[in-house]
Amino acid sequence: MDERRSVAVPASQADRGARIASLVTAARGGSDDALGQIVTELSPLLWQVARAAGLSSADAEDVLQTVWLRLVSHLDGIRTSSALTAWLVVTTRREAWRVRAAARRQFPADQDWLAALPDTEPGGEERVVIDDQRRALWAAIRLLSPRCQELLRIIAFVSRPDYSAVAAELGIPRGSVGPTRGRCLAKLRATLAAGPEGSAR
Amino acid sequence: MKPSDGGQPAADGPLDEVDLGILGDIRQAFHEADPMPPDLPERIRFSLALRDLEVEVARLAAEEDRQVLAARGAEQSRTVTFDSDSLTIMIRIDSNSDGTARVDGWLAPPQRREIEMKTTADSLSVASDEQGRFAFARVPRGTAQLIVRPAEHGPGEHGQSGSGRSVVTPALIL
Repeated sequence: MDERRSVAVPASQADRGARIASLVTAARGGSDDALGQIVTELSPLLWQVARAAGLSSADAEDVLQTVWLRLVSHLDGIRTSSALTAWLVVTTRREAWRVRAAARRQFPADQDWLAALPDTEPGGEERVVIDDQRRALWAAIRLLSPRCQELLRIIAFVSRPDYSAVAAELGIPRGSVGPTRGRCLAKLRATLAAGPEGSAR
Repeated sequence: MKPSDGGQPAADGPLDEVDLGILGDIRQAFHEADPMPPDLPERIRFSLALRDLEVEVARLAAEEDRQVLAARGAEQSRTVTFDSDSLTIMIRIDSNSDGTARVDGWLAPPQRREIEMKTTADSLSVASDEQGRFAFARVPRGTAQLIVRPAEHGPGEHGQSGSGRSVVTPALIL
């Protein structure tokens, strides 16, 4: 395996892990402020998890409220940033499925969240290059399997040292994102590299 | 096969700068296309702060109220109704000329209770009368939450005092 190009975890990310771990300890001791800081830090990730599972915005908000309330009684078993992030992601996903299944009984919803996303908004001249890259990225994402789309959407919002723990919880059988690139990212990268606009990075 | 510029990137190759760049682009793309509502963490913090209380949680009476609830600083007056097992709370939010909000409320069934308006800045308290009416004349704009507590019985007070439990509403945006 070629190690030369692998990237060391920057010190700031290691600091982040230590900071989250100490916030968890403080939250376990009853600090609402520490718990609040964790909420602020990790809710954007959980939002993407819930929306990637096909929930409406209103349902996603309810699921996040539920998951954070549930975390309070689960703090005892959690010691690290990786364990915390993995627990939150998998609990959010499970709760999102439960809510979605209940909603589906009422009206069969289409679950193609990617199709529901707005097109890239028109920007100024200086944005043309960025927009081209963005369009190429969306096009490449759409070519992936729904499973890969969901995985990459989630992982993109995870702090890098936590990739492996989250990928493991998401049940990626092999080639998980983390120490290795993984199938999904490899395919996306190959598609981007083969793009007509030379949008290879 | 090398996981670098030449050839196809291998799935079992180590993550490199290009991968991290692509993940960063994905993050940015989804962040722009489907962002979390910016005030959601604040609302979650609010509801977590109440987790230890023995409370009934009131729900929005109608799904349409959800938009009303989130209409920050709207000019027109807004009316929202919350339901809990023991109580219905209806509030009307109006604008004061000084930029603060005025909140008039009614409890059903009508009863005397202590009403607290918790805001990010501080906490305001009023009491409802025997018709269940209450009013906050000036509330700072922003996130707020109502807590309806059992009334303290003064000497010679009559009237239904409701159950002994507090009722809280979801966070609302004034």
